[in-house]
Amino acid sequence: MIQIRELSHHFKLGKKDQKVILPVLKDITMEVGKGEIVSVVGKSGSGKSTLLNLISGFIRPTEGDIWIDGVQVSELSEAKFADFRLKHIGFIFQSFQLIPSMTAYQNIELPLILKGEDEKKRQEKVIRLMEKVGLGDFKDHYPSELSGGQQQRVSIARALVLEPTLILADEPTGSLDSETEAEILEIIQKLNRELGITFLIITHDEEVAQTGHRTISIKDGRVMKGGAAI
Amino acid sequence: MKLKDKYRFIRQNIKKNKARTFMTILATAMGCAFLIVLASIGYGLQQSVVKETLEDQVVTEIQVHGKEVENGFEAMTVADIEKLEKVDHVKAVTRKIQLGQLPTYTIDGYKAETMAVSTHFPSEIASGLKLAEGRLPENPNEVVVGYHFSNTLYMETDEDIYDAETGEVKEEFQFKGEVKDQTITMTVQQDEEGKVTKEIPLKIVGVLEEPGREWMLNQDVYISQEVFHQIEAFTGTAGGEIVVDPENKVTGHLETFDQVNVYAESLESVQGIVDTLDEENYATYSIVSEMKQINTLFTIAKAGLILVGTIALIIASIGIYNTMTMAVTERAPDIGIMKAIGANPKTIKQIFLLESSYIGVIGAIIGTIVAYATSVVVNIGLPLILETAFDEEMPEGLQFSAIPWSLVLIAVTICLVITILSGMRPAKRATQIDVLKAMRREI
Repeated sequence: MIQIRELSHHFKLGKKDQKVILPVLKDITMEVGKGEIVSVVGKSGSGKSTLLNLISGFIRPTEGDIWIDGVQVSELSEAKFADFRLKHIGFIFQSFQLIPSMTAYQNIELPLILKGEDEKKRQEKVIRLMEKVGLGDFKDHYPSELSGGQQQRVSIARALVLEPTLILADEPTGSLDSETEAEILEIIQKLNRELGITFLIITHDEEVAQTGHRTISIKDGRVMKGGAAI
Repeated sequence: MKLKDKYRFIRQNIKKNKARTFMTILATAMGCAFLIVLASIGYGLQQSVVKETLEDQVVTEIQVHGKEVENGFEAMTVADIEKLEKVDHVKAVTRKIQLGQLPTYTIDGYKAETMAVSTHFPSEIASGLKLAEGRLPENPNEVVVGYHFSNTLYMETDEDIYDAETGEVKEEFQFKGEVKDQTITMTVQQDEEGKVTKEIPLKIVGVLEEPGREWMLNQDVYISQEVFHQIEAFTGTAGGEIVVDPENKVTGHLETFDQVNVYAESLESVQGIVDTLDEENYATYSIVSEMKQINTLFTIAKAGLILVGTIALIIASIGIYNTMTMAVTERAPDIGIMKAIGANPKTIKQIFLLESSYIGVIGAIIGTIVAYATSVVVNIGLPLILETAFDEEMPEGLQFSAIPWSLVLIAVTICLVITILSGMRPAKRATQIDVLKAMRREI
């Protein structure tokens, strides 16, 4: 599903004439197989979030290639990467990233609108998904009217609505209590089991990491262990 | 993303900032209304001038004042008339010769002094001349008279026939009867003192139709060529002029025409005939040529007014730019989320451009309605104000402001172009928003 070859990335800090180069990722080579749940663990500042942002296309790598589902995404233009994200990748963020002025229903409906789906089909899909994640009674609630766990369920439903083959999750339980954390991890495992969706989970929590089939450990921008697919 | 959904997005966004959007729409509407009202003055005055000019004249008429030669102008001759009649699309060529003196006419104790004209009746009829009553002359001593000829007749008496106040002939001295079928005596004189005179009995067989405009008078007597020649023979001068200097008098028949008019088959063929006559060095005047000049002048004036009006819209566009820039800044986190989940930059740009054009369209619609209302008020109110302020009556049918569809179309197009242009930069900025910074609320 994901192949990364000799990926390096650095940030340039400071003013134009006094730029300081800060290497974040160094020569990363790793793979994620289809239908796997892979956890990427590492301490704060190890480069795991940068790795996720590079795979998502939010930033461009300094060196190396990224392939998703057979497509060399690191070479795609911004517009084409956006289309690719919409069709193939779902996102779950630590801070949920829901649009506050939209209801739970509208937030989940957003990817379908961007794809240009018909209103009737949208309605069917959104209602079905809301039921599935246990938010059937919260259709017209705004994010501010929902608990953290409920907001993350909305976020999961939004990630699932276009039936992606890959879901990238950045600290998906980072803002949740332990009880809700367990519920969310159970949903992830269930989706993987039932729908065969590949999950790449970025976390610093060992307990969350153990949910996955495999763990990739990153330290100081390098893969320490678990880079190869099973 | 479907257009319907984009509009739903825009409506949601506008709802969030109703007051700010309303003020921006208001500024756009005012700019659009200002543009339309300003240019409508040009359109209105043009319409009034054109209407006034066309009402005074026959649109297919081309006046020919002579032929340009090396040393000046030559009067129109029979040869010229024959040449003009052969020009394509010419319906008729009328020609008139005025008698060189003002004869007197008497009828049953009433007298008149008015112009005698020799004309070619077949061409007059072909040009559209109509009689109010009677028929055309069939023999030399028969005449037709202008519609107002009877008004010039007054009773021959020693009393003061004029009204001291109005200066007109008192009613009791005016001619009351019918002039048709009456025999009048035309008196012409040979010398200035009127020592030698000649009386010619003429029978009025027809009266011409009333002129098109209320203020136009036709009091002329239309005599035959034979009578005209009789007078020329009596005075011994060309054109029947009174002999002032017997040594230098011009004898014989007058071979030229005082007034020659060419009538075109249709309005469309007028310009072609004028061009042909101009090539032949004839001095012409036609209402179409005048219209061309009037229209050119007004087109320049209207373009200037539209340009001034556009400045108001450009000022309004600063408001749109500001509104859209603020909208992009406020919505940066939402844009970031949309981009993260897969919104194409083109879609983001289209949403913001649609929002600015939405403001433009609503502004243009309100502006057009306001402009129409203002136009009505101006057309009713301004003449009243001017009449009160200057104590002068405005011409009937004067229109200060007119808004044709073409003006609305021009204004709406300018309004839309300006609003879209002012939304371009903010829309582009929206596409350049950094996803990570936006999601971290750093913008």
